[in-house]
Amino acid sequence: MFYKWSKKIHMWSGLLTFTAFVVWGITGINAVFLPAPGEYKPPEVSRTQEFPFEGPGNLDDKELAKRVYEAAELKMAGGHYNVHRDDDQNLAFNVFTSNGPWNVTYLESEKRVRVEFRDGGLAGFLSSMHTAHTRRGAPDISARLYGVYNEFATWAFLFMSLSGVYMWIATRPGLPWARICIGATTIVTVILWWAVR
Amino acid sequence: MFRLMRNTHLILGLVFFFFAFIFAASSLRIIYRPWLPEDRQNQEQTIQIDAAKATSPRALALELMRNHDLSGDLRQVNESDGVMKFRIARPGTNAAVEYVPGSSEVKINTQRWGWQEMLVQLHVNHGFHHDFLPASAWALLSLLGSIALLLMGAIGIYLWFCLNEDRLIGSVLLVFGLVYGLTSLIWSRMV
Repeated sequence: MFYKWSKKIHMWSGLLTFTAFVVWGITGINAVFLPAPGEYKPPEVSRTQEFPFEGPGNLDDKELAKRVYEAAELKMAGGHYNVHRDDDQNLAFNVFTSNGPWNVTYLESEKRVRVEFRDGGLAGFLSSMHTAHTRRGAPDISARLYGVYNEFATWAFLFMSLSGVYMWIATRPGLPWARICIGATTIVTVILWWAVR
Repeated sequence: MFRLMRNTHLILGLVFFFFAFIFAASSLRIIYRPWLPEDRQNQEQTIQIDAAKATSPRALALELMRNHDLSGDLRQVNESDGVMKFRIARPGTNAAVEYVPGSSEVKINTQRWGWQEMLVQLHVNHGFHHDFLPASAWALLSLLGSIALLLMGAIGIYLWFCLNEDRLIGSVLLVFGLVYGLTSLIWSRMV
């Protein structure tokens, strides 16, 4: 009975969370080709837009950046960072989104805000979305929905890993090649853990 | 064919069992991190070295790795105000090194995370650019595990289809997962 339901839930979990597994698989493969720390280069500017904005004169840079960020209403944004002055002394900051980074500049003398979008590409988008969960990610409803799905898939993945081994032990524990596989992976994992630790 | 696929599913599952467990457990650690205790130890130490072996950050790092039990990738090299600074990092351990050229003392501040946070750092460890060979080996395991994950997903669907069990409920779950997942992804990408 326990085996029967383990198998069913294992199968159902896999079917339900297949999309998340594909996203994780692609992200894992893509990660190999990501630059080393310190070698990241932002993608080229793919879109620029401007809108009129006049900030109150009694705010410091941090507070003004918050007002500009709110006025920009950028979708899929997870907050603004790196508030600074650019070479022309304009207030500037960065916004991270799942689709790529935005560079926001408040052209104070012109009373305008310029936003430049750098599309991170599909791989970058999937990499960003694979980190979503119920309390992390952009506040947009689409990202929250995917976060719920992704978090559920994480639990399902843990269950499937454990139930998969259980089903092997319950049905075919004597298979020589299966024993060799689990033995070999245990040895490799222990050696690598010890080497890193 | 069914038997071959079933065995392939089992082989991949067993070979990558620990990989899958590490990634699932570390993901849960990330999700519930605010509710879990921080597990990190700091250790500060000053060690004696031969100044002749510390002619550059790289030379000093190699000396520390060879004779003072540090290991990992050399990162964030910075030489300013007459002080040489860099980090020697590997998943779970990060040593910040400070050295004034010409002196015989090196200050090392080592942060060492517990096993849970180490799982997270193994999770995000990627690429083959590491000077520290085990980190590249973990990255290779991650790459192979990612490919295996895609294969296991596809084979799993094939096995379910061939089993002729739970066709209706399985179809509903598969379609729901695809529609829900893809819709929220495409919606997120389009905004």
